[in-house]
Formats: sequence, structure tokens, C-alpha cells
Amino acid sequence: MTPAQALFMGLLQGATELFPVSSLGHAVLIPSLLHWSFKQSDPSFVPFLVLLHLGTACALLIIYRTQWVDIIKGFFTAAVRGRIDTPSERLAMLLMVGTIPAAILGVFLETRIKSLFASPYVAAGFLVVNGALMLTFEQLRRRTERRAALDSRPRIEQEEGFAEAERISFRAAALVGACQALAFLPGISRSGVTIGGGLMAGLRHQEAARFSFLLATPVILAAGVLEVPQLFARGVPVGEYIAAAILSGVAAYLSARFLLRYFRSGRLDPYGWYCMGAGLVSLGLLALNL
Amino acid sequence: MKSNQLAIGFVVLAVIFLVVAVLYALGALQLFASTTSGPHYKHAILFVVLAVASLIAANFTRAKTV
Repeated sequence: MTPAQALFMGLLQGATELFPVSSLGHAVLIPSLLHWSFKQSDPSFVPFLVLLHLGTACALLIIYRTQWVDIIKGFFTAAVRGRIDTPSERLAMLLMVGTIPAAILGVFLETRIKSLFASPYVAAGFLVVNGALMLTFEQLRRRTERRAALDSRPRIEQEEGFAEAERISFRAAALVGACQALAFLPGISRSGVTIGGGLMAGLRHQEAARFSFLLATPVILAAGVLEVPQLFARGVPVGEYIAAAILSGVAAYLSARFLLRYFRSGRLDPYGWYCMGAGLVSLGLLALNL
Repeated sequence: MKSNQLAIGFVVLAVIFLVVAVLYALGALQLFASTTSGPHYKHAILFVVLAVASLIAANFTRAKTV
């Protein structure tokens, strides 16, 4: 991988990680479509992607720094006391419950899932599936809005009819967390499935995005801490990769700021249509070997 | 749901998770691992986390005296 390619991958990863369009799918597909010579099946490719994810995680930690301080304090207070008294404590426990299924599935399914990384066809196929999922989540949400007689109101008022992240049930948090494991498949978006899960659990779009971003942080950090040492052990150009990770973090920071603003009234539909289109075009280009 | 029996169940679960974590860390357990030899630290860390979560669950479910 050349320095320019590494920096491009960093920018791509950061820009696509938090958008519900699968950063991993893009990271697998675009180099193949551009006929870049580095091998995605190379053992250092996944740790490199994880290093880029660390850049994203740092961006999320910066954005939610005050919330994370409250969440960590809330976690220890509630764990020792054995009782939840504040919204921060509830959020901390919800994040723990949501993180455990993803951690279990990640550790036990990791090897099988990694074997899928080498195929851009798989990534393109799953990108289409991801698009269909986003559109389905929004269709189901519209049905809920109709049932609650919210469909004729302005979008901001529609959103006010739904809950904040702290109000999600523990069962729903576990289900949303388990959905994160789908994102180990290249083409399926972690933020997409968790935002969609949050919508199904009755959260506002912006709150579903916030819960998704908070939920992603421990998993991304843990994966990074476990995988990054492998990257350094292989004598790869660490400086270039760290520069790429910084670029990834900056792009992720800007993306998160945009998305949190967008989801005040925006929906998942544009991302769903984009994923379906990008996946189908990619499949066509790969089939024609263009 | 507050129940000392449930809390004891979670403590037992925590102990089992800790034992499994030690077995993975020592390389004595190879179940669902990517290689068939050597220690599996990722699996071990996961089971330590599960043990801690079980202890927290036990603390939440035990009947409080105050």
C-alpha cells in the first residue's frame, strides 16, 4: 500500500464509518474497483482497518467526552450500589448490555467472518442488503408514525413523539447490540443496523444515532487494542498508517457532527438508496472486470 | 426482580466464566478458537468481562437489606 493509498483509505474510512453505508464494505470494494495491487486478504489489512477505526473511536470520544465521563462514573456507581438512580447510570448499564452480545459474537465468529473479507463480490452483495435494510427500517418507522397519528405533523414534531436513548429497554439494548455483530460482514453498516434497531425500539432518529455512536465506541476501541499490536509487529509503515488514522478521525468527527444535525429531521432513506445503487453498480463493474 | 437465589446463580455463573477465562488464557481450552494450540487471550478477556457483568447482575438482583 502506497502512502497516498493509505491516506485515501483513512479518509474513506472516517467519512463512511458513521454514515449508515458500511465503511468496511467501501474499504473492501473501492480498492478492488480501482485495481489497487495490495491484497485485502493480507493479514495486515484488517489490523490496518482497525487502526483507522481507532481514529474514528477517538473522534467519538472527543464528541461525547462529557457524556463518557458521566457514563463511566455512572457505571461504577450503579455497579457498586446495585441500583440505577440517574439517566447516566441507566445509559451506562444499557451500553454494557448492548456491548456484550457484540463482543461474544465478534470473538467467536471473527475467523469465519474474516474469510469473507477477501471477496469484493460479497461486500457488494451485502451493500445491497444493507440498503434494503435501511429502507425497511424507515418503512416500519413510517407505519409506527401512522399508527400514532404523527404522519401529518412536521418532521420535528414527529420526532418529538419518540423517546431518548436513556428510555430504551434493556432487552432492546441487547438486541441493538447484537445487531452490531452484523457489521462484521463487509457491506453491512454498524451504524445503519444499530440506528435502525434504535428506531424499532422507539427512539428518535437523533437519539438512535447517539445510542449507536456510544455503543460503537467500546467495541471499536476493544477491537483496536486487541488488533493493533499485530500491525506494529509486522514492520509496516507505522507513520503513514497513523497519519491515515488521524485523517480518519478528522473525517469521522465531521461526519458525526453532520449526522447528529441531519437526524434531527432526516431519515435513513437516502443512505438506503445509495447503498442499493452502489452495491448494484459495484457488482456490475466487478462482473464486467472494468 | 429481586431474589437472592438469582443472585447466587449469577455468582456461580461468574465463577464458571472465570474458570473458562483461565483455561483459555492457559491454552487448555481450544473450543471455538481460530487455532488449535496456544493461549487465546481474546477469548479469555471476553470471559473475564462476562464474569464481571455476571457479578454486577448479581449485585442488582440480590435482595437489599436497606
